[in-house]
Amino acid sequence: MNKEQFLNQLKRSLSGVPETEKKDILYDYEEHFRSGMENGQKEEEIARSLGNPRVLGKSYHIESLLDESRGGRRAANVLRALFASLSLGFFNVIITVPVFAGLLAGLIGLWAGAVSLAVTGVAVILAVILQPLLPALITLGGLSIPFLIFASIGISALGLLSLIGMWKLSQWFFKIAGKYVQFNLRIIKKQEARA
Amino acid sequence: MNVQFKKGVLELCVLVVLCRRDYYGYELVHTISENIDIAEGTIYPLLRRLTKEEYFTTYLRESEEGPSRKYYQITEKGQTYKEDLLLEWTHFVSSVNNLIQKEEVA
Repeated sequence: MNKEQFLNQLKRSLSGVPETEKKDILYDYEEHFRSGMENGQKEEEIARSLGNPRVLGKSYHIESLLDESRGGRRAANVLRALFASLSLGFFNVIITVPVFAGLLAGLIGLWAGAVSLAVTGVAVILAVILQPLLPALITLGGLSIPFLIFASIGISALGLLSLIGMWKLSQWFFKIAGKYVQFNLRIIKKQEARA
Repeated sequence: MNVQFKKGVLELCVLVVLCRRDYYGYELVHTISENIDIAEGTIYPLLRRLTKEEYFTTYLRESEEGPSRKYYQITEKGQTYKEDLLLEWTHFVSSVNNLIQKEEVA
C-alpha cells in the first residue's frame, strides 16, 4: 500500500466524522508520511508500520461519537450515537432496542395528542367564525356560540400547555438517551482496556 | 504482548516522553516504536484524544527541510495526570512482581 491508498482508505473509514475533524486527522498522517520520506523511508514501509487504516478509522469514530453525545444534545446525534453503541452489544439488541422503540413510540403518540388538542382548539374557533359564511359546510351541532368560544379557548390553552410539556419531556428523553449511550461507550472502553 | 494491554501502557509512554521536551508527530511515534512494538498509527488517535482532554497543546513550527510540523507540548494538567498514571503503573508492576515471586517460591 502506498501513501495515497493508505490515506484514501483512512478517509473512507472516517465517513460520518465531521469534515473539519476529518481534515485534521488526515493532516497528521500526511505529515507523518512526509517526515518519514524525509528520513529516507519508502511510502510502503511507512504505511506498513502505521497499521491498518480501517482499524485506525474506527478508533477515531468511537471518539467522535462520544464527543458528540457529550456536547451537542441534537436528537440526530444522540440517535446516531445510540445506534452505534447498540450495534456493539447483544444485550442492547434484545433489551434496549424494544424498550427504546417503545418509549419513542409513546413519545410520538403523546406528541400527536398534544398537536391534535391544539389543532382542535383552533378548529373550533374557526368553525364559529366561518359558520355564518359557509352554513352548508359547517354546523355547530346545536351548541351555543359563547359555549364554543370558551371551549375553544380552554382546549387551545390545554393544547399549548401539552406542547410545552412535550417539548420538555422530549428534551429530557434525549438527554437520558445520550447519558445511556455514554455509559455504554464507557463500558465498551473499559472492556477493551481489560481484555 | 497483548495488544489492548499495550494500548493502555502507550498513554503513559506518550506522556513520559513528552515530559522531556516537545516532539512532532513522526519523531514521537519513532521514539516510542523503537522501544515498543506497536502499529505506529495508533499513537495519533491517542494524541488527539489527550489533546482534546487538554493534557497537550499543539503548535506549528517550520522545519529546516521546508513545510511546518505540528509539535505537541504537555500542559500542567498533563503533567499531573502523568504523575498519577506513573504512580498507578509502579504500584501495578510491583504488585504483579510480588505475586510472581510468591508463586515461584511456593
